[in-house]
Amino acid sequence: MKHYDVVIIGAGSVGVPLAWQLAEQGSRVVILEQEASWGRGQNRAAIGGIRATHSDPAKIRICLESIEIFKSLESKYGFDIEWRQGGYMYVAYDEKMKQQFLSLLEIQKKAGLNIDWIEPERVVELAPGIRADKLVGGTYSPGDGYASPLMAATAFHKLAMDAGVEFRFGVRVDSIKKEGTNIVSITAGDEEYTADLFVNAAGAEAADLAHLAGFELPVFPDCHEAGVTEPVQRFMEPLIVDILPDADSGNYYFYQANTGQIVFCITPRPQIWGRDKDSTSTFLPLCVRRMMELYPRLRNIRVRRTWRGMYPMTPDGLPIIGYPEAARNFLQVVGMCGQGFMMGPGLGRILTQTIYAGGNFDKPAGSTEFGFLFDELSITRSFEHAELLK
Amino acid sequence: MNRVQHHPILAEPPHRKLVSFSFDGMTVQGYEGEPVASSLVALGIHTFSFHHKDGAPQGLFCANGQCSQCTMLIDGIPRKSCMTPLEEGMDVRTLKGLPALPAQDEPLVQAERRSIRTDILVIGGGPAGLAAAAELGKLGFQVLVADDKSKPGGKLVLQTHKFFGSEKDCYAGVRGIDIAGILENNAKRYPSVKILPNAPVVAIFKDRKAGIFLNYESYLLVDFTALLVAAGAREKALHFQGCDLPGVIGAGAFQTLVNRDMVRAFKRILIVGSGNVGLIAAYHALQAGIEVAGIVEVAGRINGYQVHADKIRRMGVPIYLNTTIVRAEGTDRVERAIVASVDERYQPMAGTYRTYEVDAVLIATGLASCNEFLQQARSYGIMAVAAGDAGEIAEASSAMFGGRIAAHRLAEMLGKRTSVNPEWEETRQVLASRPGDSYERSPIVPSKEWRPVFFCSEEIPCNPCATACPAGAIHLRPLRGNIMDLPYFDGSRCTGCGSCVAICPGLAITLVRRVTDDQAEVVLPWEFSADFEPDRVFELVDQSGKYLVSATVHAKRRVASRSTWLLTFRVPVDIASRIAGVRVQAEDATRWLEQEDTACIDLDTPLCRCERITLGEIVEFIKANKIRDINQLKTLRVGMGACGGKTCTQLIMKAFKLAGVDPSEVEPATQRPLFMEMPMSAIVNEGMHKLGGKEAGSRGAP
Ligand SMILES: Cc1cc2nc3c(=O)[nH]c(=O)nc-3n(C[C@H](O)[C@H](O)[C@H](O)COP(=O)(O)OP(=O)(O)OC[C@H]3O[C@@H](n4cnc5c(N)ncnc54)[C@H](O)[C@@H]3O)c2cc1C
Ligand SMILES: Cc1cc2nc3c(=O)[nH]c(=O)nc-3n(C[C@H](O)[C@H](O)[C@H](O)COP(=O)(O)OP(=O)(O)OC[C@H]3O[C@@H](n4cnc5c(N)ncnc54)[C@H](O)[C@@H]3O)c2cc1C
Ligand code: FES
Repeated sequence: MKHYDVVIIGAGSVGVPLAWQLAEQGSRVVILEQEASWGRGQNRAAIGGIRATHSDPAKIRICLESIEIFKSLESKYGFDIEWRQGGYMYVAYDEKMKQQFLSLLEIQKKAGLNIDWIEPERVVELAPGIRADKLVGGTYSPGDGYASPLMAATAFHKLAMDAGVEFRFGVRVDSIKKEGTNIVSITAGDEEYTADLFVNAAGAEAADLAHLAGFELPVFPDCHEAGVTEPVQRFMEPLIVDILPDADSGNYYFYQANTGQIVFCITPRPQIWGRDKDSTSTFLPLCVRRMMELYPRLRNIRVRRTWRGMYPMTPDGLPIIGYPEAARNFLQVVGMCGQGFMMGPGLGRILTQTIYAGGNFDKPAGSTEFGFLFDELSITRSFEHAELLK
Repeated sequence: MNRVQHHPILAEPPHRKLVSFSFDGMTVQGYEGEPVASSLVALGIHTFSFHHKDGAPQGLFCANGQCSQCTMLIDGIPRKSCMTPLEEGMDVRTLKGLPALPAQDEPLVQAERRSIRTDILVIGGGPAGLAAAAELGKLGFQVLVADDKSKPGGKLVLQTHKFFGSEKDCYAGVRGIDIAGILENNAKRYPSVKILPNAPVVAIFKDRKAGIFLNYESYLLVDFTALLVAAGAREKALHFQGCDLPGVIGAGAFQTLVNRDMVRAFKRILIVGSGNVGLIAAYHALQAGIEVAGIVEVAGRINGYQVHADKIRRMGVPIYLNTTIVRAEGTDRVERAIVASVDERYQPMAGTYRTYEVDAVLIATGLASCNEFLQQARSYGIMAVAAGDAGEIAEASSAMFGGRIAAHRLAEMLGKRTSVNPEWEETRQVLASRPGDSYERSPIVPSKEWRPVFFCSEEIPCNPCATACPAGAIHLRPLRGNIMDLPYFDGSRCTGCGSCVAICPGLAITLVRRVTDDQAEVVLPWEFSADFEPDRVFELVDQSGKYLVSATVHAKRRVASRSTWLLTFRVPVDIASRIAGVRVQAEDATRWLEQEDTACIDLDTPLCRCERITLGEIVEFIKANKIRDINQLKTLRVGMGACGGKTCTQLIMKAFKLAGVDPSEVEPATQRPLFMEMPMSAIVNEGMHKLGGKEAGSRGAP
């Protein structure tokens, strides 16, 4: 039996940066991961968008922290993660959409976000070749950007290793022992681990772990496919999001990575629930058609690879953070939906602060100012107010 | 232009039309429809691009659409020049750094999804795929054969030499190029078999569909029930200093240039690897008028058939065992190659370095199955089998049997009442066998009667001499009871007709007879131009290429059915039965210079060619991050390039070993579609009016 201060389940977008930051503060941390190495769950599937542009203040706050950390990976720690502050641009091709965006702007600005409405000329300037016909404008948040999830995860893994985090790969947590409302130990790969704090960072499979611990989590795997093209000279700056749904799909988004490649992703309609990570024939024609309608210049770029992963979805599109009634020393950092890559580092920082400030079941935020975050993202919320930009 | 003018086997393709196109602003010419890359090589242009990362020159490497190293700007758009047919007026440019996306901003007018349905999709139209298709057609299945080339036949279309094997089973003694046509016609006899050329399969998907980049311009989804993967093999790359210079190319790529496109691509080459592929490449080079400085082989023995190796040596190409290439040198293309002898640990030894003045280095160090579709299909739970090189690297002869066997296996899986003929599996195995034992043959004293002399002393699956002899006087020694057995002459009756001499793929049979007390006649096969002056003196050599005597040709005749000449020489009777062949290449072509050097493993040479990541960078990264999972090398961009890891996957274990990691601990890479890049406009079939598609943008603004 091995004892640690913290046992984290899942070496993904959430688990690795959290482990690093806890270890930096002096915690003895182990991460248990079923895959052969880090980031091989959904972190790998993420296309790399990083934005603080959300409709929910908690998410805005988390991501503002994240952006600081992503930046510091290069500036402070010397890792190239292909970070580029290209901004996010949500485009509008009708009045209704414009009004929707404008009403959001208020909340976003209040939460500290640098974002504004831009006119069609500016949209075209930022993304030359984008369809100008019927374009009414868009929102632009220059502080957002994108980075490589692979490189970022490897950087966090290296930092965590150097800070003393232990990694166990190829082991799956398959049983949880409880006494009353506390976890005593968990078992993975024939080894039993005890700890003061356990963390569920199991991404799309988080509900399975909750189940083992005797409670339910509304986190459902929701399949999304993505693709990447060959590299070309830079011609567009922001990550572009088109949220207007059509018959076969919801929103889709794409950007030009630092390497010059276009990376893209779409939300199919109806959503595809399940854990199947195999590519389907429907994705490419669906997504590419919409991208070419929006951005005809892309016609000559060659698609190189496609893949499929899961959003760990919650009913309202917001994550679930907190200590559940049924397992009080089992911190849940789950339900990242389509934004776990961008939220992971910020969450890691905030949660580390709360834990070191005495956060626990009774007072999750400890002595920090983050009480609002635990309230908003609580596991016991009603899940009724869907996030608009999910 | 560097074209093959008079090829002894290949006729100049009919109806070739010279067209003008522009290369970097200059007006030049090439043949319409041939790959742009071949036109350029024929013009002596070998540098096609400068890499965006470090400006390194790049050129043709696989000539097979797999590696993307040949990408150029063609009419403003980056395209693989080895797969783009030349058209009049094309604008071809060296790609310098990353291409700019052309500002073609007019709206998408029309998009269309197209799909067809078939029972069985056969990927690859080589001998395995074509044989399988015929068999499946016979069983009544609907079959679609998708092949990425403009002409089916797979590797056969590159092979100007006569095939080993048996006449009955696999057209032995016929040239590969001709077998391709026979197989294609066999398959086409069945109306339910459809062969699609220019149809690379770029992906297979979970929902049992395959995506085809049809004619390299549109996207066709094939809805299938089961898959037969006959995609052949790709050449393994080799990592050494300068391995990324234009002029270092695959042996198969070389054959494509020389035999398919009839481009005299180089002046003098060095070949790395003594397998059948390397050996035959030497022969193809000589036929095309290209000198071969030598073949180097790191092992202590020849890897291919001994008859093959002997034949090449007799023609004047030395084979150096325990020798490796250490470096290729030159500005923008290969100008020199440096080789060295190796010790037991395969390390180059001081004092053994030598330099060859060559303009190309051919890599013939083995093939790797193209089995990614099979693996992927299996992981999706799709019914699939492999045949030919995609299943196991062997020969075209066994690939044909493999194709038939696979066809019946698949039919059984699909519920058809059929079974695999057990003889086929046996034949397939024999045809795929490695060489067996070698035997010494007893010396022969020529008599007044003609008789054949065999220079075939190692057991290989081959018997056309026995079946070709009209007198039935050649038999296989009944040791193993199959075509591995060595042929012998039963002494009964030889008319001197030369059928055996002309059909032997190893050029390992001669005829002798004594004509006077001290003179004999020897008949030798000749697969080169016979337009020589009557007084030309030939150097005649023994089995392994050692010089015996010089002589002029006494008589010559052509066996048209085998496109082989038979040359008769008069020689001293005491050596007549030791004469095995004619030297083709002068010794001068094989000269070298000694060189002081210490080069060995080169950490600074890219291992991932697409992204130009060096071996050293990879080793460091593995150590620093405790990597045990190939997928994590993607952080360095290894395997993220255009080729999709097709080239570096075979080399990557070298990095793990150097980093001190046990290869068995390493998690393999996951495969994802696409296997070939495809433009977005093709994916949505932009502008395919003729297909009767619906208007795009019908939903109004995006
Ligand atoms: C196509 C696509 C595009 C996306 N694009 C973006 C984007 O641009 N920006 C963004 O921020 N997000 C994006 N996302 C979402 C993002 O990938 C996820 O939200 C995020 O990766 C989730 O992080 P996580 O740490 O919760 O889960 P993961 O990263 O999946 O980590 C969970 C880990 O837990 C392990 N695990 C689970 N159960 C067990 C067990 N019982 N025992 C041991 N280990 C276990 C898993 O193997 C996994 O490695 C995208 C997702 C997809 C599919
Ligand atoms: C230099 C050389 C010399 C040889 N000499 C002999 C010999 O003397 N005797 C002998 O018996 N054998 C010989 N062989 C071996 C023989 O050529 C091969 O074993 C045989 O061709 C394998 O047949 P196949 O059908 O499996 O593959 P191939 O002949 O390689 O055919 C596969 C086909 O599939 C196509 N393809 C691949 N991927 C795709 C895709 N994604 N979509 C569509 N199409 C695709 C390929 O382009 C190719 O046309 C030689 C091979 C080489 C390279
Ligand atoms: S040389 Fe053209 S793709 Fe390899």
